[in-house]
Amino acid sequence: MSKPLKEHICEEQLFSSIFRKYSKDLYDFLYYKFGSQFNPQDKMQEAFVKLWENCAKVPQDKAKSFLFTTANNLMLNEFAHRKVVLRHQQIKPKHSTNINPEFLLQEKQYKEKLEKAIANLTEAQRVAFLMNRVEGKRFKEIAQLLDISTKAVEKRIYGALKKLRQDIDEL
Amino acid sequence: MNRESLIQKWLDHDLNPQELEAFKQLEDYNDLIKLDLQLKGFKAKALDTEDELDTVWNTVKSKPTKRYKLISIVSKIAAVLVICFGIYFYSNSLDTTTRTLVSEQKSLVLPDASRVELNAVSSIVFNASNWDDNRNLSLQGEAFFNVAKGQRFDVKTEIGTVTVLGTQFNVKQRDKYFEVTCYEGKVGVHTNTKQTTLLPGDTFLIIDGKYIATEKEELPSPSWLNHKSTFKSIPYREVIAEFERQYNVSVEFNNIDDSQKFTGSFMHNDIEIALKSITLPLQLKYSKTDNIIRLKRE
Repeated sequence: MSKPLKEHICEEQLFSSIFRKYSKDLYDFLYYKFGSQFNPQDKMQEAFVKLWENCAKVPQDKAKSFLFTTANNLMLNEFAHRKVVLRHQQIKPKHSTNINPEFLLQEKQYKEKLEKAIANLTEAQRVAFLMNRVEGKRFKEIAQLLDISTKAVEKRIYGALKKLRQDIDEL
Repeated sequence: MNRESLIQKWLDHDLNPQELEAFKQLEDYNDLIKLDLQLKGFKAKALDTEDELDTVWNTVKSKPTKRYKLISIVSKIAAVLVICFGIYFYSNSLDTTTRTLVSEQKSLVLPDASRVELNAVSSIVFNASNWDDNRNLSLQGEAFFNVAKGQRFDVKTEIGTVTVLGTQFNVKQRDKYFEVTCYEGKVGVHTNTKQTTLLPGDTFLIIDGKYIATEKEELPSPSWLNHKSTFKSIPYREVIAEFERQYNVSVEFNNIDDSQKFTGSFMHNDIEIALKSITLPLQLKYSKTDNIIRLKRE
């Protein structure tokens, strides 16, 4: 933790700053792990409400783990280990000049392959890999959020990349 | 630097300019960049952190705190207890009533161990909760009391009140008929017209508001306790009324003077003998159909 304060999380100021620091990461974590079908936004908010209710019991340096564990459990309560499919949103191509039907078809097929390949990653791989690639987080940051070693993050991400490319080539 | 560590560094956003050039020379550079670009399509939606924070504060503030929950649980328990105690005290302060039906007798013990024998078609009402301070009961009908020693003991009836300290006595209050007989100790009787004290064997009798002098009673307890009704110079209609109370019948008659005096008795356990007991002395005949008895002159 950057500044070990003696303050209570029950201080509204401190609680708000914790929220600003972790709410996005927590949401991303839930989204990449469980997809959007169980409303990660609600679970994120619920986890913070629970943190506030337990603010007297949770020391500040445990707040992050409390949030991630609580949100994860809230999800698991609803989530019956179904396969997670992340929707690929259309990104506007930068070079609109070279659009031709064949290219569009290839693009579409590639996206479908990618969706399937990502669904085939393990939860741990998917969370670390997408936080790294999509959210642009470095290994160290992810390691801190997930409470694992940087080496483990590296392994997960590199493993995910290899598996992904292999799947795309095979599909 | 080998291919794998270049890719690792690229993944970790940690390539320096020379390494970046080397990375660009990799044969699968284009594949990687294409994949990387497409992956951005999976981006989780952006959240407005301040909006989300407001939502959380609203949720937190609309939820009652645990302390309030505790208070509400405690107050619920307290309310239940108050209601329970209320019902307990209310039911305790209620009067106890004991009744008898036709041809029924009941025996009951009051809270101070005084005994009451209740004759047919009678009722007593008393309050058990403060009995020791206030020995006070209401009587309709006829009862024999064996009162334990103690404070004043009052028997209230429509016609008068009987007050004793510790004794045995019989009270009979029927329509316009009031009789108190003392068997032991001293008994005070108060009516609107008369106040008197009875000694053992004395009887106080009022019929139709008139005081009637009576002979000394020699029995140690009222005869009805032994299932026998005894009368000494009592109007015949009262004898008939008592007969109806003991046998659950209705007695009809014409041309008979029901105010003539009757002396005698009848048993409660044999209606034939009992009918003879009350008709023969007055030279009457009776006929019986179901629960109706007709009396005629001979």
